[in-house]
Formats: sequence, structure tokens, C-alpha cells
Amino acid sequence: MAWTLRRPLHTLTTEDENQRAKDLWEGESLGGIAENNNPLPRPVIGLLLLTYFTAMAITFPLYGQRPTAAIYADYVALLNSEPVQEVINDTSLPYNERNDKAMAMIEDALAHFDSKYTFQREQHPISMDQLKIIAPQIVELQTAGVDLEEYIVVGPEVIKSNFFNIQPDGTVIAKQPWWDKGYTVACWWFIVFCLSVIIAVKRLPPFTWRPDHSIAH
Amino acid sequence: MAFREYKIGCWMFGIALSFSMTVTIFLPSIDISSMSSTKEALEKQLTYGWESGFNYYDPFLQGKDKPIKVILNKDPMTGEAIDETAAYVFPAGTHFPNGLTHDNILGDDVQKASVELGKIDQASEEAGAVFLVQTTEDDVPYIENATATRGWQVDAVLNAAEQKIYAGAGKTMFIREGCWWCHTLLPEQTQDWQTFGRPPLVGDFNGESPTTFGSDRKAPDLLHVGSRNSSREWMTMHFFNPRLVQPHSIMPRYDYLWGDKDANGNPIDLEAWDREYLEYAKGNRVYPPEVPEPAPDSEARKLIDFVLNLK
Amino acid sequence: MLKYLFAKEEDIPQGTAAVFFAVSSIAWFIIGTGLGSFNAAKLAFPDFFHGSYALQFGHMRQVHVHAVIFGWIAMAFAASMMYITPALGNTKLWSEKLGVWNCLLYNVGLCLALALLWSGVTSGREYSDHIWPIDLYIAFVMVLPWALNVWMTILNRRTQGIYTTNWFFGACMFMTVIVFLIGNLPEWFHLTGLNEAYMTWWFAHNILGLLITPVAAAITYYIVPKITGNPLYSHRVGHLHFWSIVVFYSTPAAHHLMSSPLPEWLKSFASVEGVLILVPAIAYVCNILLTMQGKWAMFVENIEIKFTITGVLLAIPLNMQGGFQQTRAINWYIHGTGWIVAHAHLALLGFSTFAEAAAVYYGLQVLLRRKLYSSSLANFHFWMLLIGFSLYWVSMTIAGLIQGAAKIYEVPYMDVVIGEHPYMVVRWLGGTMVFFGNIVWLYNMVMTARAGTPVPAGRQPAEVAYTR
Repeated sequence: MAWTLRRPLHTLTTEDENQRAKDLWEGESLGGIAENNNPLPRPVIGLLLLTYFTAMAITFPLYGQRPTAAIYADYVALLNSEPVQEVINDTSLPYNERNDKAMAMIEDALAHFDSKYTFQREQHPISMDQLKIIAPQIVELQTAGVDLEEYIVVGPEVIKSNFFNIQPDGTVIAKQPWWDKGYTVACWWFIVFCLSVIIAVKRLPPFTWRPDHSIAH
Repeated sequence: MAFREYKIGCWMFGIALSFSMTVTIFLPSIDISSMSSTKEALEKQLTYGWESGFNYYDPFLQGKDKPIKVILNKDPMTGEAIDETAAYVFPAGTHFPNGLTHDNILGDDVQKASVELGKIDQASEEAGAVFLVQTTEDDVPYIENATATRGWQVDAVLNAAEQKIYAGAGKTMFIREGCWWCHTLLPEQTQDWQTFGRPPLVGDFNGESPTTFGSDRKAPDLLHVGSRNSSREWMTMHFFNPRLVQPHSIMPRYDYLWGDKDANGNPIDLEAWDREYLEYAKGNRVYPPEVPEPAPDSEARKLIDFVLNLK
Repeated sequence: MLKYLFAKEEDIPQGTAAVFFAVSSIAWFIIGTGLGSFNAAKLAFPDFFHGSYALQFGHMRQVHVHAVIFGWIAMAFAASMMYITPALGNTKLWSEKLGVWNCLLYNVGLCLALALLWSGVTSGREYSDHIWPIDLYIAFVMVLPWALNVWMTILNRRTQGIYTTNWFFGACMFMTVIVFLIGNLPEWFHLTGLNEAYMTWWFAHNILGLLITPVAAAITYYIVPKITGNPLYSHRVGHLHFWSIVVFYSTPAAHHLMSSPLPEWLKSFASVEGVLILVPAIAYVCNILLTMQGKWAMFVENIEIKFTITGVLLAIPLNMQGGFQQTRAINWYIHGTGWIVAHAHLALLGFSTFAEAAAVYYGLQVLLRRKLYSSSLANFHFWMLLIGFSLYWVSMTIAGLIQGAAKIYEVPYMDVVIGEHPYMVVRWLGGTMVFFGNIVWLYNMVMTARAGTPVPAGRQPAEVAYTR
């Protein structure tokens, strides 16, 4: 077996071996069934490549991400600021109006600052009631000095969500589902598969050769 | 591999399959096994015992070989009032969950605390034991063997119990009756928590078998159902005939789990009950017939305990 | 059957084991779909059979699943393997006697296994519901002798070559044994926690992906060239199909638990591999449909080709669903809903059932050397199956989309149950059609054995004209 670099897609077997394979192929009937030696049609090869790129693109976790506690940190800071607290404690207004007004103030204030969380905030809007419930937990975490991006907000709870991207020495590699060793393994898996199958089929007689089925059948 | 060269083909097949199993079984099992138990996992193990599916000690899934969860308001030794405490009673001969018998289930810190502070290595299945779930100052949950640390004996704890919860036997009923074909025990990580509560985290399952996540959800998730609805009356009616409380429910009736006698020792006549119910359903009666209260040792009671205990 | 149990090997006619497996499989298909129809009735009208406590839904559901998987699908596979494997090796089955015993003990074991599941004695793990003593019986009494017969027949072939179908038969039986023994590790060794949950789905994924899908495909690799008389379109595309099944189909087990707290890298890997199951699917469908070149009239005229090609065409939506529904982008919407139930029926009642029905139709005619009794009844069976399945699939897909929407818009669950009700009724109708179609099939096959036109030696059944 030798790879001819000038003709990389050509058969990998010697002429003698090819001749033996051809004789075998044409001279034997397997239960009355014969096999042709056609290649994959070109459009189907395109479809297979498209499948691979789609597989990588569609599985990548750009979708369905959960809200981290970090995106609400600014909400909490503003909630605990004096003007907002005044509105919330203003008993002259009904409860709902106070909430709405306070939330409007917070959102207005946030709109004036650039933040890397703007997109996620739009994805995961929060109500004043829920904010009030999670606020003390976020403050507590901030006091403890942890990275809020490792925590997610699940209903009324703020929960540590980073389990599998931490090295034994405590180094954090990633905080959300992102590129991980699963994708690395998947890339190698596909490459090794392609090489093996190409070598396997390249050892067959070239696909330009058509077996003559009239010999054994 | 040339045309019809099968030896190499077999080798390639073997190598591919071995690679596949290495990546999909061996590598994940290292990661999964390295996770420490959470407090939930400790509570679940102590509530459900060794195994809830078919096993040698309970081959017909009758709820045998199961611990009893009890709620204590007073110290069983001295009778002094204490804060409400959940204790897990393993009567003599009850098999311990894997976390108590294998060193690698609880996780390093939890295992260390459970042995050093909780003395779980002194518990024996032959003599029975009473366990508590505690937390160290560093927030590490651990199991305390109260029989060794406090001298709490099985009988004394059962006698002093404010409430006995047969959730362990109830999980066996949950599996045998196929509840998990429709009710999952897995709020999903992405969307479900708004309705069904916190999705389970990675350490929440250590030592539990089977986990009965369920896959085909035809009914609400039950992982936190006890927090959403803690009414024993509602559950009793719902299990007896779901249409009493949810007119459009498609759940089967579980009235046969009541057995022959109700809590007051009166015989239960299901056919008579059905006749009266039919009258009610036709509109000839204002109220449906009374749902009998399940006897303390009935399977219905155990199943209801299990469901209410899912907090 | 009984007279062959203690007969000498040379006194047992060739094909006996295949005939017994084929007839058993049709009987189990009737039982399994009958149970399915019954369960569906319960989901539409929960009090319909109230009072028969032995028929509780929670006890019956898994009996339906295992009756169709182990009874119908696996036994139809066994029947196909026991006549196709020797035919492709120009030889006879390694041991007809082993095959006959295998069939008897298979039926006995399955009755016992289903009776235990029915009474609630279960391991509590989906698809590996059987308790471990039954698992041992299945592995060593039901599957291993069957596998042995297939392997030994391939080894004792009288050709140098092994045709594509037989690669799949031999390899899939090997993978099935491995998956069965490893997938039940949680029961053998009492593994617990997430390991147990993951292994449950590793088993479920691989038993479906490494037994049912590829063997059904392998059957069509035989039926289509054999009946049309065309050579298989491409030997090398067969390679691509076979190797991508081994490499890609054996890996995505974790995609069944995308919403659980498994390691994220495992979900990522499983998800990419899950989309790549489209590689074998594309190679396979392309190979079979191109083999049909010039013979498309047979899709209408010939009942076996009609069944086979319908199955192959159903493999296209099956794999498109299977590839994409498990990605993070889509799974959150449809996970755990009726969509998945529809998908499972597309795989088992759609793709593989149609392929196997063709193999059983063809096999019984060849082995009994009798032309099919009635083409009208066979066509009736085909349309009952196809329309019944389509009603089922469409209604459950819609029900699944309702559930998915309700999940993200936080609709109270009761309203979902009310909204699904009409689709549950349609599902019941569809399932019942399949059930009645199968009864007609059994009648047709019994009449074929008794009153079918004899097929002359050396001729194909397809070459003999129908009389009815």
C-alpha cells in the first residue's frame, strides 16, 4: 500500500491486488446478489460536509443559556440605592405602582451605561418581586467575593452552577456551556473517522471500474 | 483493508467500539463519580434505603427493607423538647444505602465528616441505626449516626416520633405502579424551573437507585410537588379518584392501594363507592361519596407519604 | 414445532427456525399493538376499563413496549437473519435445531418477562425494565444462541465474500450482546446515582441504535437487490454506512439526558455525534434508492418492495428528527413531550416495522415455497399500517408541540391535558388500525401456508402471478 501523492484520490492498492479483487468481485454470487462499485454522488458528498458543519454549528450552546447572577448585580445595586428605596417604601402609592415605578427607574438608569450583559438582560427580564427575593442572596455572594458568573438564578434561588469546568487546583476554565473537551473530542472523532474510511475504500479497485455481473450471475 | 479482507475489518470494528465505550462510559464515569453528595443526596439515600426497584430483599416490590423517616419534637432519650428534627430510622436488618457502605459514594469531604463527626463507620445493619443529616461549620453536609453519637435507639426514636413518614416504601410503590411513566422527577435545566421548581444539581443523586427521572411526561413533574401542594386531604382524594379534584385529569384511579380496610377498620367496598360516584357524576347527587382514610399500613398511605415528602 | 425439538439436525428442513420465528413475531406484533391500542384508550378515557385493576396503565405501558421490541421487532430480526444469513453465504443455517430451541425458549422467556413486568416486578429503569435474573435469561438464553447461529453461519459460509447485510447482522449481534451486558451494569453491581441514570440511557440508546436501526437497514440491503434483481448501487457506500454506524451511532447516549446535570462536555460531544447520525442515514438512503433505478414500478406493484421502500422513505424524516431534536437549540422545547413518543414510533413502527414486515412477507413465501395468498389483503395490511401510523405520528407530534409551548409559556398543566385530548383519541384510532391490520396479516400468512399457489423450484415468489 502506498499513497501516490500526485494522484491522492487514486486507489491505494497495487495492480495485482486490484486484479485479484476484481476477479473475486465478478466471479462470485452472494445468494444471487451482486454489488456495483459506484462512488457517492457529488451532491451527496456536499450534503455530508454540510451535515458536519451543521452539527458543529447547531450544537454550539448559543441558545437556551440560563441567566447568571452577574447580569442582575447592577439591578441589585440600584435596588438598594436611596432613590429607589424611597419609591419602594412610599406607602402613599399602591404596591404594584411602587414596584413598577422602581423598576422603571432601575431600567432607565441601566440604559445609560454600556454593559456586556445588555443582551442577556433582554433575554431574561426580571420582575421586581423576584428581584427583591434574589437581591439579598446576590449581596451575600458579593460580600463573600465570589464570581457571580458562576451562579445562576433559578426561580427564587441563586445557585452555584459551575461544576465541570473547574480544575482540581481551583482554576476556572469556563462559566457557562461553551467550547469544552466534548467538542475537541468530536473534531478528532470525525477526522479519524474520515481518514479511516477513506483509506478503507481507497484500497478497493478505482470507482471508474464497473464490475461485469454477467460472469457469475 | 482491501476488498474482502475481513481480519483487518474485525480489528477496526473492535478498536472503534472500544474507543466509543471509553469516551462514552469510562471518561464520564470518572467525572460523575468525583462529585460530592449534596445535602439532598444524603436525605434521599437515608429516606429511600438501598434499592427501590427489584432486589433480593423485596422481590415483589412490596416496600420491604426500607427505612422510616420520622419527625421528632423531643429527645427520645431524655424527653426534653428539641427543635423539629428529621431522623432516619433503619430497624434491625434493614440494608443501608450505598453511601453508608461504600467509601467512594459520598465524596471526600462528606465521607470524612460523616466518619469523624458522624461515626457512620460504627453503624451496623444487624443492630439497626438512627441517622440524621447535619452540616459542618464549613457547610459540608454529613450523615450522623445518632445511635453512636447520642445513643438514640431504634425503638425509642419510633416511640417518640411526632410523625412517621413511609417515603422509602412509598418510592417502591411509585416504581411498581409506574407513576414515573407520566410524572418525571427531573425539572429541566432550561425552562422548567418556573413551574416545577429547581432542577436537580449534579450531586443530588449520589447513592440513589433507581433515579427514575422518567422521560415521557404526560403529567406534571413531581420533584418538588410537596412544596407546591402539601395537603394530605387533597392527595388522598386525588389518589383515590383524580377526577374528584381535577375533573379533566387522565390519571388512573389508585383506589385499590387502600386495601381491604380503612383507617377506622371499616371494610372498603370499591364497587359500592363507584355506584355512588356514578350517581354523583350523572348529577343525581350533590356531593361525591366520602373518600376513606387510608389505613396506617396501607400502600396508599406510603405512596402519599412519598409524594408529600418530595419537597 | 415440538416434533423438531428432539429431531436429528439433518431431519429438520432448512428454514424451520426462520418460519417459527416469523410466525411468532407476527403473533407478538398483534399482541404488542393490541396492548398499545389498549393503553392509548386509557390515555384518552382514563375510566374506560375502570374496575379491571390488573389492567392499570402503569403496569401495562412497559408490557406494550417490551412486547413490540422483544416480541415483534427482535423476533422478526431473528427470522430474517435465520434465512438471509445462510442465503447470502450460499450455505445452510449452522444449526436449525438450536434455532428451534432458541425460538421456543425465546417465547417462553418473553412470556415470563412480560408477566413479571405486568405484575409490577421491575427494575424501575426505562427500556431495561426487566429484573436482572430476566436480563441474564435474555442475554444467555434468548440472544446469545441466536447470535451464535448467525456468527457460525457466517463463518461456515461457502463464499469468500460476506455481503453487506451479513456485516451488519454479525456486528449488530455482537454489539447487542456487549450493550446488554454493559448496559445492565447498574443492576449487576448496584451502581447508583447519576452513573445509574446515565447507564440506563446508554443502554436504551445503544440497544435501539446498534440493533434495531442498522439491522432493519441491513434487511433492506437484502430485500431490494434480491427482489428487483438490480445489483446493490455501491459496495463502498455500504462501507461508509457500516463504519459510520459503529463510530457515530454508538456515542450520543447522553443526548437523552440533555436537561439533566450530566457533565457539559459529555452533552456537547453527544450532541455533535447525534447530528452526525445523519452520515449513515444519508449514505444508506442514497444507496438503497439508487439501487431502485429502473425498477420503480415495483414500488407500486410488488408488496415487499412497497413495504421496504416505504420504510426507507420513513428513515428520512426519522433521521432528520433524530439528528436535530437532540441539540441544545431544539431539545429544550420538545424534551419529554409527545414529540418524542411520535419519534420513537417513527423509528419502530415506521422505519423498522415496514422493513421487517417486508422481510417476513418475503421469507415466509420463500421458505414455504408458496405465493402469498392474497395481494388484496396484503395491500389492505399495508394501508392500515401506513394510515394508522401516520395518524398516530401526526397526532402525537401535534400533542408534543402543544406540550412544548405550554412548557415555556407556563400554561397550567391541566390545560395541556385538556388541549391534548383530541389528539389522544386520534392516537388511539391510529394504533387500533395497526392492530386490526395485523390480524388480517396473520390470516393472510396462515392462508398462504395452507392455500397459497406453490412456487416452482428455482423461481422467485415475485415471478408468480397472484390469484387473489
